[in-house]
Amino acid sequence: MKAVESEMKRRRVLTRLLSYSRPDKRRWLWAVGLLMVATAGDVTGPYLIKRFIDNYLTPGHFPTSPLVLLSVIYLSVYAISAAARYIQAILLSRIALGAVERIRNELFAGILRRPLAFFDHTPTGSLVSRITNDTEAVKDLFVQVIATTIQNSLLIIGIFIAMALLDWRLMLVAVAIMPLMLAAMWTYQRMSTPIFQRARQLVSDINTRLNESLQAMGLIQALNQQRRFRREFDDTVDAHYQTRLRSVTLDGIMLRALMNFFDMLVLAGLLTVFGYHALQHVAEIGVIYAFINYVHRFTEPMVEMTQRLNLLQQALVAGQRIFGLMAAAPPTHGGTATPVTEGHIAVHDVSFSYDKVQPVLKNIDLDIRAGEFVAIVGHTGSGKSTLASLLLRFHRPDQGDIRIDGMPLAEMAEGPLRRAVVPVLQDPFIVDGTIADNIALGLPLTDEAIAEAGRAAQLDDWVERLAQGYHTPLRERGQNLSTGQRQLICLARALARQPKVLILDEATAHIDSHTERRIQQALENLRGRVTQVVIAHRLSTITAADRIVVLHQGEIVQQGSHRELLRVEGLYRHLYQLQEMAVSPQASVEAEAQK
Amino acid sequence: MSIFWRLGWFFRLERWRYGKAVLALLSVALLSMVPPRVTGWLIDRVQSHTLTGRELAWVGGGLTLLAVVVYVLRVFWRIWLFGASLRLSALLRERLYEHLSRLSPVFYQRHKVGDLMARATNDIEAVQMTAGEGVLAMIDGLLTGVVVLILMTTLISWQLTLVALLPWPIMAVFMYRFGNAMHRDFFQAQNRFGDLNDHVQEALSGIRTIKAYGREAAEGERFAGLVRSASEANLAVARTDGKYEPVIVVTMGASFFLAVSFGAWLITQGRLTLGDLTSFTMYLGFLIWPMFAFGWLLNIVERGSAAYERVQHVLNTEEPIADTGQRAAPEKVALALQVERFAYPEQSLCALSHIDIALTSGQTLGIVGPVGCGKTTLFSLLLRLYEPQAGHILLNGHDIAEYRQSTLRDTFAYVPQDSFLFSMSVADNIALARPDASREEVVRAAALAAVDEDIQRFSDGYDTLVGERGVTLSGGQKQRIAIARALLREAPALILDDALSAVDLQTERQILGHLREARRGITTLIATHRLSAVEDADWIIVLEAGRITEQGTHTDLLALDGWYARTHAWQKLEQQVHEGR
Repeated sequence: MKAVESEMKRRRVLTRLLSYSRPDKRRWLWAVGLLMVATAGDVTGPYLIKRFIDNYLTPGHFPTSPLVLLSVIYLSVYAISAAARYIQAILLSRIALGAVERIRNELFAGILRRPLAFFDHTPTGSLVSRITNDTEAVKDLFVQVIATTIQNSLLIIGIFIAMALLDWRLMLVAVAIMPLMLAAMWTYQRMSTPIFQRARQLVSDINTRLNESLQAMGLIQALNQQRRFRREFDDTVDAHYQTRLRSVTLDGIMLRALMNFFDMLVLAGLLTVFGYHALQHVAEIGVIYAFINYVHRFTEPMVEMTQRLNLLQQALVAGQRIFGLMAAAPPTHGGTATPVTEGHIAVHDVSFSYDKVQPVLKNIDLDIRAGEFVAIVGHTGSGKSTLASLLLRFHRPDQGDIRIDGMPLAEMAEGPLRRAVVPVLQDPFIVDGTIADNIALGLPLTDEAIAEAGRAAQLDDWVERLAQGYHTPLRERGQNLSTGQRQLICLARALARQPKVLILDEATAHIDSHTERRIQQALENLRGRVTQVVIAHRLSTITAADRIVVLHQGEIVQQGSHRELLRVEGLYRHLYQLQEMAVSPQASVEAEAQK
Repeated sequence: MSIFWRLGWFFRLERWRYGKAVLALLSVALLSMVPPRVTGWLIDRVQSHTLTGRELAWVGGGLTLLAVVVYVLRVFWRIWLFGASLRLSALLRERLYEHLSRLSPVFYQRHKVGDLMARATNDIEAVQMTAGEGVLAMIDGLLTGVVVLILMTTLISWQLTLVALLPWPIMAVFMYRFGNAMHRDFFQAQNRFGDLNDHVQEALSGIRTIKAYGREAAEGERFAGLVRSASEANLAVARTDGKYEPVIVVTMGASFFLAVSFGAWLITQGRLTLGDLTSFTMYLGFLIWPMFAFGWLLNIVERGSAAYERVQHVLNTEEPIADTGQRAAPEKVALALQVERFAYPEQSLCALSHIDIALTSGQTLGIVGPVGCGKTTLFSLLLRLYEPQAGHILLNGHDIAEYRQSTLRDTFAYVPQDSFLFSMSVADNIALARPDASREEVVRAAALAAVDEDIQRFSDGYDTLVGERGVTLSGGQKQRIAIARALLREAPALILDDALSAVDLQTERQILGHLREARRGITTLIATHRLSAVEDADWIIVLEAGRITEQGTHTDLLALDGWYARTHAWQKLEQQVHEGR
């Protein structure tokens, strides 16, 4: 029962994979048509030689013009067949690659539309593997399995047709071997699949062991366990060797040698039947010549198809995983498309937990006026970055609601929300491209608008010193820039969008004090025009805020201006003192290092 | 081709399998020549109407028997030849691993894991190809080619051979060029695939920005562009690949045409029979493989040579520090660390200087200081991963060079900050150094490291698997398991290298308390960022830029009012803030 079910499932996966090549219907028709032409040409060649042998050579009769005609036909058949074969191969590749392109694009677009929580739970490595390696396996399915199966089956059918036309009795000899060949293919599949699976498993075991050992060789040595690990590694390598030996043995018995064996059996059968026939009648020598030619073309396609069927298994497994990822429909957001004009944020009774067990935010109430500069501070794990995530709709609150200009955040359309509420995140994200590309990030901005944003982000005096200015390309995702420079580019990117609400989530965590002052200056210039929510670990950045909200374990414990909060004995004051003190021991280290 | 020389040791080692394989190949090559000849003979008999039923039975029976013999031979050479080449990869893999397990952490700092992995996997596979498919292409390709050519020229007609082979050089040229183009196109396709991979990595790592800026569609388009160029590169491969068959088809067509036309003329001249011509065209078909094998061989050898060199490079790397000590393992540990000067290889900056500390058996030494002050370096010298340029380290009064490396490792149970957990059960991870330890011992060690309760809460307790297919542990849990692992060794000295950094203060106190009870007589060295871990140490040193700037007991150091005192005050306040006060 289960086997039938999985067989059905596999068939569905295959059908769905194939359906991606449906838009290429015209190419399909052309490819198959040309393939038929090429196959016809392939099987015509030996037939023409047969005609030459039987009609002219055996009787010893050589009239000029029919012979010239025959030669011309023979040579043009090969030329046409070669051309047709080449073009159909390219067409089939195009169809295959087109289908894989569609699968890749749909998968990638689908994954990007997933909510952020999905990315928190799924390791990046496995997603990358789905998008690249699994689709590559599907590519192999199209290019290697499907294309060769079509080509080879047509060739075999063509050969049988030509044989039947020449001499149906001799054809039966060749046909008689087909069930044996198919049985061999089937048996090989049955027997090789478990061996291949085991070999693949062992390869992955070897790699895991090797990878872990290489990462932790120091530890293995410190524990004096080299010998044991080596023994275990050797055991895996030996097991793999034994398994591969079994697969080599199976290949040896079932694949090429066996097909060659059938080939020779057919030859023996053909010669016997032909000779037996010739004992009684006059035989056409050309017929046996053509048959021998045909039989030899059998072996290779059969071996090829048998071997490549293994790729099918892998591709189906990959396909299953791919469709599994495509399956879950991404949530659609509400359609309130009213633009944000003020930037007033109201957080009402919001609670949130990542795992539904450990609360991260508890009943947060916060009203941020349009144009207000609010800082949110707290020690590690206080929930301040989570609050920013909720404001950006990366996650949805479990309880309570957030409104912007009175509109519930959950019901806003993507466009106006992303236009109005813009963040600068902790890890500056730089794409390959110029500085201008990175500031625009897809928006159609003029050079002036980009320069304007650069100025506002205090970026311009650095950029102007570059030979190509804003058109300087950033390679390797900006690895050659300092974190501060990358962060200023990200700030310019945010400002270029002329947001109503600017959210800085630990944007100054890893940058030097010089850049920090620049960012402070940039923010100061926005005061009153743009609502600013600044999540900061370093308190020196936010002393100028209109209001500072102090979080502890998901709750607001203090609120007020820097001066007000410093005046009272409490968490903010201690946080501040802590950072003031941190400067002194650190400074002594830096001084020491410079000596 | 020198790769075959360099692999000579292996061919000698496997001389039996290779010898038998070559013999079988030779027999197959010779026996395969029979059917075409028999076919030709039969055709001539048919044409001259001299064929008898008895002869026909012999032909049918003989060919069937031959088919069986050839089949058996083909099966065996495959098993012998490829079996031998598989043995080479297993052997090289084991040797490489064995060698890698003798190289010290210093080597691993200079080589990336990914690069070493590539050598142990792809490179070894390429060498295996050389010893398997490469040998096949060289021996069988050459053998078949020579045998067929000899038969064609001697048995049938050298003139016909010459004429029929006229188009072949053209095919050879094309094949060679396609081979090169294929190599290049394939490389390009790999690169485009790499780009695709990079872009997906990039996009997924910046998913927050992409979402916050509503860039999903634009990123999708950028991806589609890369997918398109990957397709283009693959199409280039398909274009080259697609040329092989037409060229073979056309050349063979032309070759057959020439053979049959010229052969027909020879027949009319009475210098050839129709049977000969049939045999001849069958032989012609046998020549495709040697042709192909040659190009293939060049490719395999090129890749194999480069790969073998890379593997040998690792195998030839030697350890700079000699391991010639003789002394027996000590039961107690008294230490004298006298490091006058130490700099890392190829660096002028002193990593440690003027260190002089003595520690009697059972004492605890605390080492503190800012990041990069030399704490871990000091331990590296103690474990003899490096040797100081001036000074020495004495264990019970003897230079540590007088002990074997394995003895030193058994003497010092070292716990690093980032400990590695293997994909095995929690219990196996703890019992890593003592696989024979009983479950009770494992649990006792875990309890001492205050991780027992955590483990009990896992789905399968101590048998829970760690890693990708199992449970993911927090940094603090990992550290505590590493400590349990070290405690189980019952070594006379324990080194904690910032090994409690991810554990909260309360648990740290609990663990240190357990240690104090359990480790009577055990010499302990604790390096830490958090001063609370060394408050009870017998002696504390403050390292700054590789030098001791303050030392004494906790009380002494507080009174000094230096780095230690300042850091202590700061950490106290931090703890207060952490508690929300």
